[in-house]
Amino acid sequence: MATVRFQGVGKSFGSIKVLKDLSLSITDGEFVVLLGASGCGKTTLLRMTAGLETISEGEIAIDGGVVNDVHPRDRNIAMVFQNYALYPTMKVRDNIGFGLEAAKKPPGEVKAKVEEAARILNITEFLDRKPAELSGGQRQRVAMGRAMVRDAKVFLFDEPLSNLDAKLRAHMRVEIRQLHNRLGATTIYVTHDQIEAMTMADKIVLMQDGSIVQVGTPDDLYDRPNCRFVAEFIGTPAINCLTGEIVWDGETTHFSGAGMKFLLTPEYKIHAGKSVTCGIRPNDVTQASGGPIHGKLLIVEKTGADLQFHLSSDDGSEFVAVAPRSTPGTAGDNMSFSVDPLKVHVFDQASGKRIDV
Amino acid sequence: MIVQSKSSRTIRTLLGWAVVALFAFPLYYWLTIAFKDGREIFNYPPDVWFFSPTIRNFEEVFGISLGFGFGEQREVLPGGGNWRMGPRLWDSIVVAIFSTVLSVSIATLASYALSRMNFAGRHHFVSWILSTRMMPPVAVAIPVFFIYKELSLLDTYTGVILIHALMNLPLAVLLMKSFFDDIPKEIDESAMVDGASRWLIFRRIILPMVRGGMAATAVLCFIFSWTEFLFVLTLTQTGLKTVPVVSSTFVTSTGTAWGNMAALGAAAMIPAFLFILLVQRHLVRGLTLGSIKQ
Repeated sequence: MATVRFQGVGKSFGSIKVLKDLSLSITDGEFVVLLGASGCGKTTLLRMTAGLETISEGEIAIDGGVVNDVHPRDRNIAMVFQNYALYPTMKVRDNIGFGLEAAKKPPGEVKAKVEEAARILNITEFLDRKPAELSGGQRQRVAMGRAMVRDAKVFLFDEPLSNLDAKLRAHMRVEIRQLHNRLGATTIYVTHDQIEAMTMADKIVLMQDGSIVQVGTPDDLYDRPNCRFVAEFIGTPAINCLTGEIVWDGETTHFSGAGMKFLLTPEYKIHAGKSVTCGIRPNDVTQASGGPIHGKLLIVEKTGADLQFHLSSDDGSEFVAVAPRSTPGTAGDNMSFSVDPLKVHVFDQASGKRIDV
Repeated sequence: MIVQSKSSRTIRTLLGWAVVALFAFPLYYWLTIAFKDGREIFNYPPDVWFFSPTIRNFEEVFGISLGFGFGEQREVLPGGGNWRMGPRLWDSIVVAIFSTVLSVSIATLASYALSRMNFAGRHHFVSWILSTRMMPPVAVAIPVFFIYKELSLLDTYTGVILIHALMNLPLAVLLMKSFFDDIPKEIDESAMVDGASRWLIFRRIILPMVRGGMAATAVLCFIFSWTEFLFVLTLTQTGLKTVPVVSSTFVTSTGTAWGNMAALGAAAMIPAFLFILLVQRHLVRGLTLGSIKQ
């Protein structure tokens, strides 16, 4: 177990700068998820931590020691790759034990640790098979077993679940989290899937274009996104963004735009006249006849647990609302919803930054 | 699988066999010559299917019984009678096997480095290796002859093995590099993070994965060495001669011993065939299956 610190880390491939002046601290035993769209630099950052990419600027320290020039094999880290990267000519047993064999551990210890890992991961019966004879989920477990046996200081996961089907992915999410609880190892986990990030992370690091946009707990990012990008990235279905301006009518503060007008908290009065984007999560609205959020129903999606209403507002912008299964509504109906002013996120239209009051 | 009509399947099968026959027929005809006596060879129209087979050609070429003459009489006797080609076949086997082992070993190490390690001028290095094959071999034969003379390598197994290995290296390196390039780099990286040294990764993980590639490269190197003519002709005298060069001695001032030549050719196919049979079980595709999610 260890702390990891990134200080002013940058990475360039030729003239292309893929990571810019990135600083971050990860505490001992923390499960940190690097989240972002493809090409945002999250995997590069993970590979730099592993020592598989050189560091162009700044420094990375594991347990206080700067590792910029330390070879991957001497960093005492374990990594699970997106495509498993198992050794095809070796049996599962040898795959898992290879790291221990490389460290010249006694055969008895290797055997005991491999069998213990296999027991935890429920792959004991496959120990004498080759990777080609395993299913995707089993291969993923072998890859995790390989990381587990080494008592590494830091665990790195590079999108380990992206090749699995939805059901198995949900199952493995729980298993990885349980494994982390059991081992308590510092973990850095890369994914582009915000559900994985929300369900697994102690701390999410949301990245965009090689920079960190926001760092916080899953609740922080969901409840108080610091910019429109974060608000749109986190949450399913995605947040509704309506553009308009803040209006003070002498008594109340409103948002006016997209053919709608709804209340904001009084503190926004000082921003009256400002062009803003209001973010409203689909789950934060309630059906109310004559409610300020209204539109013509385009389509109803049934998710099983609830219904998702896709509305078209007067100016043509789309709005999604989640409502209980019993809520009536068919395509073409006019529907209205209300929203608690405390649940409205207000962002500056030009910069996209959150406007706090 | 795409469903095909019965007639189209039949046509495809027949066409397939026709192509096989086209390639196999000259080989069959060559073999029949090896088993015909002098007069029958020149019959017109040729007796393709029905003739009186004889092993006289083989007896003449190898000296009554196979194995006779090994190490005893190494020079080639011009003219008819007993050619004693057994030792020549042995020369070919030694040269082909050792030059193949040498070139595949060096090529495997070199191409792993070219595929995986970053060093200055790596890409120029690959072009330079390829450029060594751009010159026709005959252009280097004379300089090599003088170099060999200085180094006392003329007419020695070492000399011929070295030149064959040298000629094979560029192709072997490029071929092996393509096999290494096909192995995902994540496998090396994963082992590296696991704490393995570069040598351990190469020996325990990567090498077993390119076994098929090594076998394919070995077959090509072996066939090149087995059939090489020019360098053996220029760099050897009486110490050793490989089959392609001694085959030319069947063309004499009193005529060409076609039956003997065919017998030697037929016999020479056996070691090459055995070698390919030996390595072909390693020519299995899909060795990386299961290592990564494609």
